[in-house]
Amino acid sequence: MAEAHDSQAASPPVSAPDPGEPLLRAVDLTRHFRLGGLLSKHSLHAVDDLDLSINEREIVALVGESGSGKSTVARLLARLYKPTRGEIYYRGRPLHSLRSRKDQLWYRGEVSIVLQDPFSAFHPVFHISHGVMRNLALHRPELSHAERRREAERVCEAVGLTPRMLDRFPYEMSGGERQRIGFAQALAVQPKLILADEPVSMLDVSIRVGVLNIMAGLRDREGVSLLYITHDLASARYVADRIVVMYAGHLVEEGPTETVLSNPKHPYTQLLLSAASDPSEKEAEIAADSGEPPKVIDPSEGCRFRSRCPYAIEKCALVTPRPTPIGASQVACHVAVAEAERASNPASIS
Amino acid sequence: MADPLLEVDELVVEYATDAGEVRAVNGVSFALDAGEFLGIVGESGCGKSTLLFAVAQLLSPPGEVAGGRVVFRGRDMVRLGRGELQSMRWRDYSIVMQSAMNALNPMKSIGAQFKDTLEAHGSVSSDNVRKRSTEVMELVGIDSAHLQSYPHQLSGGMRQRAMIAMALLFTPQLVIMDEPTSALDVVAQQSLMTKIKDLQRSLGFAVIFVTHDMSVVSHYSDRVLVMYAGQVAEAARTDQVFERPLHPYTRGLMSAFPSVRGPRRELLGIPGSPPDLAHPPSGCRFHPRCPDVMPVCLGREPELYPVGDAEVRCLLYTETAKKAS
Repeated sequence: MAEAHDSQAASPPVSAPDPGEPLLRAVDLTRHFRLGGLLSKHSLHAVDDLDLSINEREIVALVGESGSGKSTVARLLARLYKPTRGEIYYRGRPLHSLRSRKDQLWYRGEVSIVLQDPFSAFHPVFHISHGVMRNLALHRPELSHAERRREAERVCEAVGLTPRMLDRFPYEMSGGERQRIGFAQALAVQPKLILADEPVSMLDVSIRVGVLNIMAGLRDREGVSLLYITHDLASARYVADRIVVMYAGHLVEEGPTETVLSNPKHPYTQLLLSAASDPSEKEAEIAADSGEPPKVIDPSEGCRFRSRCPYAIEKCALVTPRPTPIGASQVACHVAVAEAERASNPASIS
Repeated sequence: MADPLLEVDELVVEYATDAGEVRAVNGVSFALDAGEFLGIVGESGCGKSTLLFAVAQLLSPPGEVAGGRVVFRGRDMVRLGRGELQSMRWRDYSIVMQSAMNALNPMKSIGAQFKDTLEAHGSVSSDNVRKRSTEVMELVGIDSAHLQSYPHQLSGGMRQRAMIAMALLFTPQLVIMDEPTSALDVVAQQSLMTKIKDLQRSLGFAVIFVTHDMSVVSHYSDRVLVMYAGQVAEAARTDQVFERPLHPYTRGLMSAFPSVRGPRRELLGIPGSPPDLAHPPSGCRFHPRCPDVMPVCLGREPELYPVGDAEVRCLLYTETAKKAS
């Protein structure tokens, strides 16, 4: 497959993946954090039973409010946290089987991460080139010093910066430039997947689009997949092929971008969409909602959105809804699923 | 017509740096009527926060007002002494800062901070303190039980609401807000904006709202002031700005954010970055980034030209301005 002409010749053998196997697949991904002291029995359910897949050359937007668990997902996928339960498969290989340093290095070279805050992500006393060159030395040791420098210049240009930027210090650069360097650094290791955790939320609106365009360019020109974590549906729509909406650690809706946004099924997606202000519209709908996602500590069974949900029924407090296919989407909502069933076979009375 | 509540006249603010004086605010003028909602929009580094600080007289060295006046209720704030300012602050005008986490004291409960504020402006009985604190908490939609809470126990949205409650303790005539929603999620942002607008309508205070995101103010402000490199680039009614933006910079800002509805199209944003104010470009300060740049823009500095009842600092409008006059 693609590995043949790739510089990852030294990487561990990849068993030929199934044709239908996505680049990365998480199954029942769960992460709990214990709260309080050693004897405390309380735990915070940051992510619960999440199924997620990312295909090659695909941008998946993971959308949710702060506290929805979306950053925890990025850290789980980057192996910064260990899952409490569940498994992540990369090219069909379960991540827990990657134990040796060589395997771990291989995975870190395949999947890299861009962090939210471009102002604290760089070492202040080193030139910008330092981080990029170190990444190259670690993950592509076959390159000579001169080749590393050339490669650093190439990735710099790939994100729309002049190679001169490499000789600057972080404080000499604007937020937008730093975030681009963040992508350049991630790109230097020739990853197949970049996890971008709110890469534009700290940037001015006027430069956000530039960074979003770079993400789309990475997919189209470099063939990289991206997990784009954001709370902004408009920017998700701008770059993403598929949208995954999370609420309080659960996946609530997932599907192709246009399907989800033009016809949101889950009440939470509908709320997010109504809150996205669009100046081209005359009057914003007034959301009476206070916008507080719950802290999920020792949750009981039931839909976690029900206290904010205008359509909640009795069943919502008793049974946790699981993602169920409706058309091209997956929706975890009893009301929406029942409605879709009624619509698809109006004759049958259940 | 009655005098405006606040009149800023040719305000100049300079920062003393090793490289010489940097003019962060360069001859900005605007007026604000009682009960009006003014949005000030611009990128980081355009001087919008400095302008707010100058209006509120909160500048500290190396920044200082180098010229112009800030007339609030008939008095020039630039010339007022420390004591006079102190009695006006919070009573006549208040400020909501960008990051409530840093603006609230982490060691004191919300209620204790309200009490401090109330007591700073005259002795108040503890009964009155409790009553007023409960009132303002209810105004912003937080359970008054949270008066006992410490800032870290509240979510970002609630902290920002508590800041707004604090700003309303004395029912001031002017509330200055420096990006109060930028650290919040979309849903919380929307509900906070709606709350601010409701309060402004019912209590009748004027608002100066600073943001870098045009879409935040689109449904809430009466007028918009677009700032670029320390100057006013465009000043107009909000609906006008959104229907027919005049300045190429305003148009750039407008087309910088993707839409959740409508056609999906490629956006360009505004190429380049804001100028270094220590060495501003010659002529029009926007010309290195301007898509409509003309040869004349490199040499001639544009003034604010009237177009209808809007004003715009762009040489494209010299002809229309001449015709009108």
